[in-house]
Amino acid sequence: MAEPSYSRRAHENVTMPFPPPRIEAEVMDGRWLKTSEKPQWIDSLTIETIDGDTFLQIRGSAPPSPPDWGRVRCDLVFANAADTANARAGGFIAHYDFDEMHFEVQANYNLGLLVVATFVTFTSPGPFTNRFTREFFFRA
Amino acid sequence: MTAIETTAVSLDLSILLGDWRNTNAEGGIARIVCRGGEPGEMVVQAYGRTADGMNDWGAVAAPVFAFTFESKQAGAFNAVFDLGYEEVHMQANVKAGVLVVASFNHFKDRSGRSNYFDREFFHRIGGA
Repeated sequence: MAEPSYSRRAHENVTMPFPPPRIEAEVMDGRWLKTSEKPQWIDSLTIETIDGDTFLQIRGSAPPSPPDWGRVRCDLVFANAADTANARAGGFIAHYDFDEMHFEVQANYNLGLLVVATFVTFTSPGPFTNRFTREFFFRA
Repeated sequence: MTAIETTAVSLDLSILLGDWRNTNAEGGIARIVCRGGEPGEMVVQAYGRTADGMNDWGAVAAPVFAFTFESKQAGAFNAVFDLGYEEVHMQANVKAGVLVVASFNHFKDRSGRSNYFDREFFHRIGGA
């Protein structure tokens, strides 16, 4: 569907050559540790950008968070505005699928912190409610 | 992304339901209306802000989430609006009575614009 001219949000009203520039996700690369000393959902993350793809590895902090979520490729990375490739104040989305749980990870990088939100969805009835988490990480 | 079978448990939606307006009169998303839906979900209608006013993005079913594994109170939702040329992933949660909305905006057209992240705040003006 083409974009109706009347629908464009004001800050998206920019002219850019196609294809868009590759978003410089490397600024998020590295190992990130939780800012809180208490147990939480995520303990640490490792982000690595290789040949334009950004990979994410997460380690859980406390059950039912798995100790090692494994490594996945981010579905999408985001700049901080529609007219830039700068990922400072940008972010990414990634997904993890386990037998009993599904995690959607949505993170943004701001002021030197990685703010990581997860939507935790259980695939079968159990003692836990589907949960939203939002936690903060600093670069190791 | 593959379709995920999930459990449908009713949560208390009271802190999310209502008509929410952007605290910034020039914000990209002008209005969000949250209504009840199927168990485990909510119906979310959003309006983008344009030069001439508001543009109705339509209503979508959005799964709701609690802040703890033991809670029966929903405090967050995850909605995706497919506008054709653009897909908006909306991460929203209520904190201190404010709806905090992070949007992950993914362009699908050939406009050359970069996918971008944004974060906006909404106050509730009424129930839905």
